[in-house]
Amino acid sequence: MNGWILAATVELAGGGAAALWGVTTGPTGRRVIAQNLATSALCPALLLLSQGYGRPSYVDLALLLALLGPVGTLVFARLLAAELERERPSAWALTWAAAGLGAVVVAAVCAATAPGRATVKLLVVGALLIGGNVIASRALSGGFQGVRGG
Amino acid sequence: MSDAVIVVALLLVAACATAAVAQRDPARQALVLSVLGLFLAVLFTVLQAPDVGLSQLAVGSALTPLLIMLSVRRTRRRGRTKEGPE
Amino acid sequence: MNRLRLWLLAVGGAGLTALLVAACPGLPRFGGRSHPYGERAVRASLDRHTANTVASVNFDQRAYDTLGEMSILFAAVLGCVVLLRQARDEHRARPEPAAVARPVRRYALIVLPVALVTGLYVVAHGQLSPGGGFQGGVVAATALHLLYLGADYGALERVRPLAVYETSDALAVCAYLVLGLAGVLAGTAFLANTLLPYGTFNTLSSGGAVPLLNAAIGMEVASAVVVLLATFLDQAVEIEEKQGS
Repeated sequence: MNGWILAATVELAGGGAAALWGVTTGPTGRRVIAQNLATSALCPALLLLSQGYGRPSYVDLALLLALLGPVGTLVFARLLAAELERERPSAWALTWAAAGLGAVVVAAVCAATAPGRATVKLLVVGALLIGGNVIASRALSGGFQGVRGG
Repeated sequence: MSDAVIVVALLLVAACATAAVAQRDPARQALVLSVLGLFLAVLFTVLQAPDVGLSQLAVGSALTPLLIMLSVRRTRRRGRTKEGPE
Repeated sequence: MNRLRLWLLAVGGAGLTALLVAACPGLPRFGGRSHPYGERAVRASLDRHTANTVASVNFDQRAYDTLGEMSILFAAVLGCVVLLRQARDEHRARPEPAAVARPVRRYALIVLPVALVTGLYVVAHGQLSPGGGFQGGVVAATALHLLYLGADYGALERVRPLAVYETSDALAVCAYLVLGLAGVLAGTAFLANTLLPYGTFNTLSSGGAVPLLNAAIGMEVASAVVVLLATFLDQAVEIEEKQGS
């Protein structure tokens, strides 16, 4: 067991348990926020695991999660728009903390890999993850208004 | 000791799956289900099955929630039209 | 009647539990070193110059099983289209466009091409790294629906001529079958990976017919998911029951 896997285990246990607790309790707005933050908690864990196992091709999993996780949150933001419009949930402190965590992990994994195409891929994952989560948070706190029939 | 990450992933999947079954409202169930999809993908990764993990991520993170939420919207809308226009 | 059913369930469940518990001691130990099937599969996939053994199992050693899975998806989507069609007492209403916040709309328009390219990348690298036709096809199809999430349903309908996707779904299934029949015509067996040169190990063109079969599956899955979501979206957004029916 190396340091990368240990870090991934800690992040998985902490972030996963927090996301699970948030998504199963409280009003709908809080649950959607927890669903969004689950992406930003688990995507860095996948990057750390890929580095820990020494298999660069596992980065594809993190890439797909960084791409599709925020899309999933947009689905909820759009189709639960009526409920969210009343609640206007927002947790910007948590969102930026999660973004910072993602940035730190991407920087650490970048530093450990030889510069080249792998670095570019990691940076794309980081940009998609952070951008996606900030935008998804924005969408939850009133990004869709006046959704009636469409 | 190196199995700790597998144990953590298994516990998260078991807890989240139980929570998904325990929810009553379909929309909230879809939320728990999408988080369960992420945990499952991590579990498949730590069990060295990245292909299965990728399938789980592709289907579970956006497609399944979209299908469930569209069905929920359709059934709710049908309830509204039966009761008369708003 | 209800009690009888519960008894039947209890007896069946108890029997299944007993069998599973009895089978458990016979399992190989968790994380053991001996993998008789795995070792043979890896050797066969290395012989055919396919770096991703899972792709070799799916599209070469067990390509016939994948044909079955593909027809299950095809039949399931066909069933959905038939069940969710517009009934006689329903009519279509134009959905009103939604007011989407500008950053969300921009994000959707930027991520759409990125997701499409990622989907194609996952399909094309199926024989090299984790992934393949199914995963990539789902990603590409999901990408299109960012138009619904970030703009409105009308925008999605404009770039989604449904007949084209229905046709390409059927064409992709035919392509898989034709690739299989080519083996028969060449005198070997259905879906045998013997026609094409195996190429250089760990390059895009390695693995013989594996990349071609991957592409067929990717096209089939992407079109099938688009058609499936279209029927669901029609029901959720457009089709309404007539008042007073």
